[in-house]
Amino acid sequence: MAQQKEKPRVGVFVCHCGINIGGFVNVPQVVRYARTLPNVVHAEENIYTCSAEGIASIKEAIKEHDLNRVVVASCTPRTHEPLFRGACADAGLNPYLFELANIREHCSWVHMREPDKATEKAKDLVRMAVARVSLLEPQEEPEIDVMPTALVIGGGISGMTSALCLAGQGFKVYLVERKPELGGMLKKIYRLYPTGEEASRVIGDYVNAVMGHKNIVVLTSANIKDVKGYIGNFEVTVLKEGEEIKLKIGTIIVATGAIEFKPVGLYGYGRYDRVLTQVELEEILKGGKSAIDKRFFKLQRVVMIQCVGSREERPPRAYCSRICCMVAIKNAMIIKEWYPDSDVYVVYQDMQTYGKEYEEYHRRAREAGIRFVSYTKGSPPEVTALPNGRLKVVVYHALLGIRRELDCDLVVLSTPLIPYEDAKELSKMLKVPLGQDGFFFEAHVKLRPIDFATDGIYVCGTAHSPKDVGESVSQALGVASRAAIPMAVKRLRAEAITSVVDESLCSGCGTCIRICPYGAIQKDERGIAKVIEVMCKGCGTCGASCPERAISMRHFKDEQIIAQIHAILRRVAA
Amino acid sequence: MTFEPTIIAFLCNWCSYAGADLAGVSRFSYPTSIRAIRVMCSGRVDPALVLEAFINGADGVFVMGCHLGDCHYLIGNFYAQRKIKMLKKLIALTGLEPERLRLEWVSASEGARFAELVKDFTNQMKALGPSPVAGEKPDPNILENLLAAKAAVEDFRLRVLVGREGEMVDEGNVYGEKVSQEEFDEIMDEAIAAEYIRNKMYIMLKKVPQSVKELSKRLNIDPRNVLRHIVILRQRGMVAMAKVEGTTPLWAALEVGGR
Amino acid sequence: MGEKASVLVIGGGIAGIQASLDLAGRGFQVYLLEESPTIGGRMAQLDKTFPTMDCSICILAPKMMECYRHPNIKLLTYCELKEVKGIVGDFNVKVLQKPRYVDEVKCTGCGVCAEHCPIEVPNEFDMALGIRKAIYMPMPQAVPRCMTIDKENCIKCGLCAKVCRAGAVDLQQQPKEMDLNVGAIIIATGFDQYDPREIVEYGYKRYENVLTALEFERWICASGPVGGHLIRPADGIIPKRIAFIQCVGSRGLKFGSPFCSSVCCMYATKEALIIKMHAPDVQVYIFYNELRAFGKGFQEFVNRARNEYEVKYIRGRPGEIKEDPKKSLTIWYDDTFTREIKSLTDVDLVVLCPALIPREGNKRLAEIIGVELDEYGFFKVKHPLFAPVDTTIPGVFVCGYCQSPKDIPDSVAQASAAAARAAEMLAQVRR
Repeated sequence: MAQQKEKPRVGVFVCHCGINIGGFVNVPQVVRYARTLPNVVHAEENIYTCSAEGIASIKEAIKEHDLNRVVVASCTPRTHEPLFRGACADAGLNPYLFELANIREHCSWVHMREPDKATEKAKDLVRMAVARVSLLEPQEEPEIDVMPTALVIGGGISGMTSALCLAGQGFKVYLVERKPELGGMLKKIYRLYPTGEEASRVIGDYVNAVMGHKNIVVLTSANIKDVKGYIGNFEVTVLKEGEEIKLKIGTIIVATGAIEFKPVGLYGYGRYDRVLTQVELEEILKGGKSAIDKRFFKLQRVVMIQCVGSREERPPRAYCSRICCMVAIKNAMIIKEWYPDSDVYVVYQDMQTYGKEYEEYHRRAREAGIRFVSYTKGSPPEVTALPNGRLKVVVYHALLGIRRELDCDLVVLSTPLIPYEDAKELSKMLKVPLGQDGFFFEAHVKLRPIDFATDGIYVCGTAHSPKDVGESVSQALGVASRAAIPMAVKRLRAEAITSVVDESLCSGCGTCIRICPYGAIQKDERGIAKVIEVMCKGCGTCGASCPERAISMRHFKDEQIIAQIHAILRRVAA
Repeated sequence: MTFEPTIIAFLCNWCSYAGADLAGVSRFSYPTSIRAIRVMCSGRVDPALVLEAFINGADGVFVMGCHLGDCHYLIGNFYAQRKIKMLKKLIALTGLEPERLRLEWVSASEGARFAELVKDFTNQMKALGPSPVAGEKPDPNILENLLAAKAAVEDFRLRVLVGREGEMVDEGNVYGEKVSQEEFDEIMDEAIAAEYIRNKMYIMLKKVPQSVKELSKRLNIDPRNVLRHIVILRQRGMVAMAKVEGTTPLWAALEVGGR
Repeated sequence: MGEKASVLVIGGGIAGIQASLDLAGRGFQVYLLEESPTIGGRMAQLDKTFPTMDCSICILAPKMMECYRHPNIKLLTYCELKEVKGIVGDFNVKVLQKPRYVDEVKCTGCGVCAEHCPIEVPNEFDMALGIRKAIYMPMPQAVPRCMTIDKENCIKCGLCAKVCRAGAVDLQQQPKEMDLNVGAIIIATGFDQYDPREIVEYGYKRYENVLTALEFERWICASGPVGGHLIRPADGIIPKRIAFIQCVGSRGLKFGSPFCSSVCCMYATKEALIIKMHAPDVQVYIFYNELRAFGKGFQEFVNRARNEYEVKYIRGRPGEIKEDPKKSLTIWYDDTFTREIKSLTDVDLVVLCPALIPREGNKRLAEIIGVELDEYGFFKVKHPLFAPVDTTIPGVFVCGYCQSPKDIPDSVAQASAAAARAAEMLAQVRR
């Protein structure tokens, strides 16, 4: 539409954010200053611009002052832009004619000790926003169709739960597992805490349900080779036994799980046969008492050591692995049940028996005669071999203040769940991040715990962080809701911020085509670059690299950015 | 009053802007010197924008992106890295300290690192003093040099070389041959120097028509080289012979169309 | 599909909000029922959240607004559940809308009425530490943005009606019954705080400088009763030494509840950091029994508090708190590492971290809906591992703290889980 550029009429709303901003930045002064800026026809302050009242006053001002551009000076656009854009849209203004000046995260909160300078900076930020908003243009978000098919990566309890729940809602699901069989970590586990059922039986039921479901296609011994596309329209290449399978997918769930840390070099692990990890113990327990007898003859005394290789000073294993205390209690009680005369010790730092049931679980273990010995990080227990092949654990009982020497038949190390080495590769293919600890990193720790920042990709279970079966199932069901939303709606609005080629300037050199990681730029029949809008993610690298400077980025045009630069450096004089 | 530098920071939306947000949320304080411009990706930072900032008197320009390998757009930060590498070489030719331009990677979880980097860069700029082109009386020579540099990065040659560097060095050219990094750097350095000088000459000739000899003296380069550049500028339609004084032709800049 | 399938969500805290947004986002009609005048729940009362130190209301408010703006969500605030009949896919629900005595449509929430109201009442939202009027809005970000007259305290002077330009005050308003038909029900009623008055040794409500954690959240919050200034409640003096006591009425057989509330070690650490950010010189002590930092990034958060902010963690259970004439406190405790009785003197402020317990109202709710509670009053699930959100009645789901103790992200994930199960079940019964 060849609309005539109307003169910008900018409204500026400066937020106190309670005292988060107002306590350090002189908000009334910023408002007065804003009124002096070019194109600004209205400026006001709000206690909370994001409150219903604040939103209402934006809408009112748009009508009353005939605003065609809005600036809110408050917090980060990364959380609040949608809300304010929504307010603009409600008042009939194109939501892209809006700009946030981040005077909280980037100003009041980091310059608390310099209120005068913070106020000056806030003015600068407002001036930048006004300069930019004056040059912004309306944008439309193209709509895209969503394929109602989900891909679940990982066939453990989390992946199977997600797959079943999505299939139960009527969506088609591909479940990809790299091992020959479904089941994941639980296949190695003997019994589950706190309920005590056998993991293999439960897994069996799940596998049957998954295999028998008409909406689920199971691909075992299969790996993800390549992921292209975007929410609603992923093209996934799966490699199964040498054969490439191409799938068209709407949403992707990462349920790749975790593995147990092998504490080589710690407490004699790897040196003594009688030092095992908890999972290794479970694998023996699965064979029943006879398997134990066969391997250790008889268990008179067992010592379990907690926090082996976890809760370290520095990442990547600074975290608590959450489940190990209950795992130790569970296995200690099984041993005690099988060998009632044995002594079972759990040597711990802090028992993480949180929540409704685990405190009780801990209590039951004490009542069953399991002995708990507390150690501190500063003086960890020591494990040595005795001449007769048994082991000796020396531990300083921090609560009783005594040194204990425990001869024992078996030492079990509670080691953390750690991410798979190759989680990195998957994270690159999916373009989703890993955290410091190597686990997949969610969009927001508090409020988007199972979403990724990238639309259409979700995470659940121990791929996200260590957690037990119930917690994994909760998350797995959770992603079955998150992933179902776009698939149920079927149509989504796509990114409006894409690149545009000025055909008159393009020489067809093809540099942009090479650069675009999404394959979103192709040559048309005239040899001129063409952007496929729904595939463009809007990074702008093509534009910043185009030799002819023929590509511009919607909403991040050169002149819009230059306006910000000038606003910073040329002060108001310009 | 002590010198307070003005630093323009280009922050990518996904990592470094988020890192700056986290610095705020965590209340890590840092100097007020910095003014952030949010871009979606560090790869979006056109070299011309950086020079625009210096031309207008920025004391420092900080470009931040996701750590290599973490780019929300996979590879944008690699392009940022190549652009900055080229820019630093180019800026060094202008007489402005190339340290005034800095590239760092900051992730969304590195609020503390963000604050530290801002502190560090601010101190660095304080030690360096105000930009020679900042303030009321900018150094006319350096300003002119920066304008030449900006014109150079707006032109095809440097842009295409930077845009294709990864392809040439890592993937191989159209013949499937890989160009070694050293070889490529050599080509790049030569191109940077040539494009800079050509644009500088163009700006000089825009002011007043000059002879090869005059240009050679003022630019302190061999007259033969000057002539070579003149030939190329003429081919590009940027200069033309204006008049002949005695036996000496004077060259003048032509108005160049487009942007 | 014919008419939209609908779901009733009970409880407008973060869990209820998330479940509602998920279901509404995919096209279900959602009725979000909340007893109090605003949605937001406990999370709205918090100052910040661990371990990211996000400002709680800052990240919650956009979600609250989203609920308000969503075309598929009908907010039923200030409402009570009266009756549930029927089965999955076809529940008939009676809801009682309590009279606000203010017209929700007409009220702009400008607050002029509250300015004029002569009656002052302790504000429940601020844990009764602050004052509101008889006509009030619980908090600035309240959703819906509508005033409410609390009839019990109102003297019916009519001043509010006189000053209201919108003509929104309606003192004749009557309770209104609504009938809804929904396919599924999600329960998300959250928690209450154990009242530590029972533990007389700690002097709660006897000593003015002893607060509970939720009280402290309001006290230190910028939008709280004292504008977020770190001062002693007794005399407004700036404290030098603050102590937190963990497991007050939890994990104990003598008082309160036997279970662990799961979040106290972390929120105490968070509150300690908030204090340190307000005033780096204040000494902060946390008395704990076992330090439970088991969530993602939690141990790292505790390490930071301990190493960078010098928060002192003392393993020990305080036996008694004594107040001196200057209102400062002495904590007598049993240091479990040295096995000595010690005292920490000149403590300006003690923050008790009480058990977080299921709401009293769960019993009535369970009766109305017909679901079972466990021995503590949490809603019972079909299987704690494999059916963590299915209650004992098909079509009725549960999420958040009212199912078992959990923090915000776990509540959010579980809320989505409840939404998924509701959608799955409705997909099956409607087929």
